[in-house]
Amino acid sequence: MPKDLTRRELMSRSLAAGGLFAAGSLMPVSSTLAQQTPERLPGQTEHKVPASLEGDRVVQPRRDVPVLHKTSVLVVGGGPAGTSAAFSAKRMGVDVTLVERYGYLGGLATGGLVLGIFPLYDRSNKQVIYGIGEEFMKKLDVMKYGIIDRNKAPTYPTIDAEAFKFVLADMVLDSGITTYLDCWGVDAIVDSKGAVRGAVFESKSGRQAILADIVIDCSGDGDIYAAAGAAFEKVTTNIGLISRIGNIDEVDMAPGRGSEDPGKAMVGKPSDGGRPSKGRVNDFNGHAGNSTPAPHVNWLNMRGPVGDALNVADLTELELKHRRGTWSNVEKLREKPGNEQVYLAETAPQLGVRLSRLLDGCKKLTNQEIRNGAKFKDVIGYSGAYANAPEFQIPYGTLVPAKVENVLAAGRCISAEFEVADITRLIPVCWVTGQAAGLAAALCIQDTCKPRNVNVAKLQSLLHQQGAYLG
Amino acid sequence: MTLLGRVPRRLIQLTCFLGAVVLVWPVLPWAIAPRFFQQFSPFVALSSSLAAHSIGVGAILALVVAIISSFKKRWFCLYLCPTGFLLENTSRAGLRKTRWWAKLPPVGRYVALITIAGAVFGYPVLMWMDPLCIFSSPFAMNKATNAMSVILVSLGLGVLVGATFIFGMAWCVRICPLSGFQDMLFAMRKALWTRLSGNPSTQKFLTARRAFFAGAGGALLALGARRLGAARFKRSDTLLRPPGAVPEDRFAGLCIRCNNCVHSCPSKIIRPDTGHEAGLAGFGAPIIRYEKDYKYCLETCNDCTQVCPTGALTPLSLERKNKYIIGVALVDNNVCLTALGKKECDACEHACPYDAVHITWDEDTYNAYPVVNDKCIGCGACEVVCPTTPIRAIRVWTQKPA
Repeated sequence: MPKDLTRRELMSRSLAAGGLFAAGSLMPVSSTLAQQTPERLPGQTEHKVPASLEGDRVVQPRRDVPVLHKTSVLVVGGGPAGTSAAFSAKRMGVDVTLVERYGYLGGLATGGLVLGIFPLYDRSNKQVIYGIGEEFMKKLDVMKYGIIDRNKAPTYPTIDAEAFKFVLADMVLDSGITTYLDCWGVDAIVDSKGAVRGAVFESKSGRQAILADIVIDCSGDGDIYAAAGAAFEKVTTNIGLISRIGNIDEVDMAPGRGSEDPGKAMVGKPSDGGRPSKGRVNDFNGHAGNSTPAPHVNWLNMRGPVGDALNVADLTELELKHRRGTWSNVEKLREKPGNEQVYLAETAPQLGVRLSRLLDGCKKLTNQEIRNGAKFKDVIGYSGAYANAPEFQIPYGTLVPAKVENVLAAGRCISAEFEVADITRLIPVCWVTGQAAGLAAALCIQDTCKPRNVNVAKLQSLLHQQGAYLG
Repeated sequence: MTLLGRVPRRLIQLTCFLGAVVLVWPVLPWAIAPRFFQQFSPFVALSSSLAAHSIGVGAILALVVAIISSFKKRWFCLYLCPTGFLLENTSRAGLRKTRWWAKLPPVGRYVALITIAGAVFGYPVLMWMDPLCIFSSPFAMNKATNAMSVILVSLGLGVLVGATFIFGMAWCVRICPLSGFQDMLFAMRKALWTRLSGNPSTQKFLTARRAFFAGAGGALLALGARRLGAARFKRSDTLLRPPGAVPEDRFAGLCIRCNNCVHSCPSKIIRPDTGHEAGLAGFGAPIIRYEKDYKYCLETCNDCTQVCPTGALTPLSLERKNKYIIGVALVDNNVCLTALGKKECDACEHACPYDAVHITWDEDTYNAYPVVNDKCIGCGACEVVCPTTPIRAIRVWTQKPA
C-alpha cells in the first residue's frame, strides 16, 4: 500500500519546489530594480487627500498619480497570456514591464489550479500548439513532479502548480523584464486622441501609473481595454473553484487519468445494471478529479453556477460557498470505503472565472468559422480540437480592438463569439494569443506603428522563429 | 425450347437484373428507389399490407405482377426476378450432381401460407425469405462499419448462391415463397376459371390438411413471436430501432431484412442485429448503434423511413422524424468527466441539435452534471462525442413503455 501523504508533507514538498520562487517573490521582482522610487512630478504633494463624503456622494479628489515606471511594452496580467506576451516581446530586445495582481505568476494555470493543459491536439492527435507554451512544458519535463502525460495524445498533460510557479519565477528573474507583483491594474491612461498610453495600478505603494507605448491587456477580464473605452461584449458563465485532494488514488485511480485514452482502463465504474437512472445525483462514487504530477494528489475541477465575474458581490459569495461546498464534498468522498484517508490539500487561491468581457476586435472569430475550418491570412496560431469543435486558426485581428489605439488583448478576453471564447480561454490557447500579442507589440515599437498596422507577414515569421505552429 | 426462343428471355432477364441493380444501388439520385424494387413482390405486398393494416401506392406494382403471374405460370421468376437470373446462371456453372430435392414437396407455397397466416395476426413470420430482399441486402455492404455487418447483409444471397452452386435450382423451384405464392395465384385463377366454366376441379393444388397446418402454424408462430418481442422489449435495454419503427412486438416480423435502411443511412449508424439483442426472431433486423467517430441520426435526414418496403419503418416527414423518439439519452455520473470533476467538458451540451442536454449546476450536491430534458429524441449526437472510453458516460437507451 502506498504511503499516506499528510498535508504537512505536501506543504513541505510544495515549498521545496517553490523555494526559489518564494525567495524571489518580494515585490517588485525585477532584475532591473532602478525604478523602485516613483518619479516625483512637479506640484505633486506627498500627502494623499482622502475621498470625502459630500452629502450622499463619495467624492474622489482629482489628483496626480505618481508615475512608477516608463516602459515600451506594458503587459497587464501575469497569467498564461501575460507571461507568454512578456517573454516573447522581451526576446525582441524591447523594454517590457509585467504587472500581476497576485503574488505569483501563472494566473489560472497556477493560482487557479487549472492543471490540465488542453486543447493541445488536433483531431488526429497531432499537437498544434508549440511556441512559448511548449518551452514552459519542456522546462517542466525535466523537473521531478513537474508534468505528466506529455506527448500522450489524446490524453492531455497535467502540470504541477508549484512547479509552474517556479518555472515562471525563474524565467522572469533571468529575463530582464521589469515585474511588479501584488499590483492590480485598475485604469487605462488615455491621451487626448484617445490612444492608450499606459495604465494605473493599485498596490501597497498606493495608486501609481506606468507609462507605456503599447499596452497588452492580459487581465483576463479586459479591464484595461474596457477602461480605455474599447467596445466589448459582456458575458456571464459558470464560475467554479478548483481544488486539490490528497490520498485519493489509493482506491483505484492508478490506471488513472486516461478516461479518454482508449488504451487505458476506465476510471469510474459504470452504474450497476448498465442503465443509469434518470436524474441521478452525483456522489463521485469514490472517484473525484484527475491525477496530477504530485503522487496521490488529484485536482478536482468544479463547474460552479453562473455568476458575474465583474460583480464583487457575486465573486465574494462564490469564494465563500465554493469553499464550503468543496469541504463537504471531500467529507462525502471520505465516506466511501477506501477513501477514509482522503483530505483537501488546498482550494485554488483564485476563483475559476471562465469568461467576462469579450473584446469587439478588428475581427470577431465566429463559431461558424471554427466549425468550418476557416483559414485566415493573418493567422497567429492554432487552438487544438476541443469537445466537438475541430482545431482552428486564430487570426491576429481578434487581438486588436476595433477602435482604441496602442492596446492589444490576449488570453481569454480576446475578440471571439462566446462559443469560441469558451475554447480560446483555455490555458494553451492563452499561451498562443499571448505570444502573438507580445511579438506584435514588439514590432509596433521597432517599426513605430500601431497594432492594427503591424506587418502580419513579419509577425508570422517571428512566430515561426520562436517555434510557434501556424499550420 | 429452341435456342432462338431462349435468347430473348436471357436478354429480358439481364435487363431486369441490371435494372434491379440500378434501383437498389442506388445510382439514381432518388433516395427511395430501393423501396420500389422490393415492392414488385406480390408476396411481400400482401403479407405486409395484412400485417400493417395499410396498403401503399407501391402495391400497384405488386398487383400488376400478381395478375400477370396468375395467367402465366412463374412468369416473374422466368423473366423479371434478378435473384432467379443470378441463381440460374450459378446453377449452370455449378455442380448440379444431385436432384434429391426434386422429391421434396413444394415448400415455397407453405412458406407463403405460413407467412400470410402470420400476417393476419400482425407478424408475417417468414417474409424475410422473399428473394427480392435477399437480392438487395448485400448492397448495404458499403454502409457496414464492422465485419459482422458485412457478413449479415450478404448472408442470405451468399447462402443461396452457394447452395445453388452445389445443389442446383432447389431454392427457385421448391423453396422460394415468391414462386410458391405465384403458383398459388396461378392455381387459384385456374380453379376460379374452372368453377366459372362449370367443370369440376381436376387438380389438387394444396392438400387441405397441409394448408390448415401451415395456416395454424403461421398464426401460432406469429402470436408467439409477438409475445416474445413485447417481453424482450420490457427486459432489454439497448435495443434501438431506426426512426419510424413499428412497436417491438411486430417489428422483427414486418422487417424483411432487405437492409434498405442500412444502405440509406449516411451516418452508418444502422446495422443488422446479430441476434444478440433481440434473439433469434430479431436476427438480421436493423438496430441503431452510435459509435465514436461516427455520426448520429442527423436532423437533416429521414432517408431510412422512406426506403422501407413493408412499413416496418413508417414513412416519416423530416419534421416528424425529428420528433420520433428513438430512445433517450441517460448520463452515468459515475463515468462523466464533468460530474467527476476530471476535466472541463461539455461536449454533449454543445453537440445536441435539439437543445436537450445541459450541464447543470446542482446547488445541493455542489456539483455539475449533464441533465437531459424532454426534448431528447435519442439521436445520439451526444453519445458519439462523449470522450470517455470504453464506455461513454452519456448513452442513448430505449425509452421503455410507461
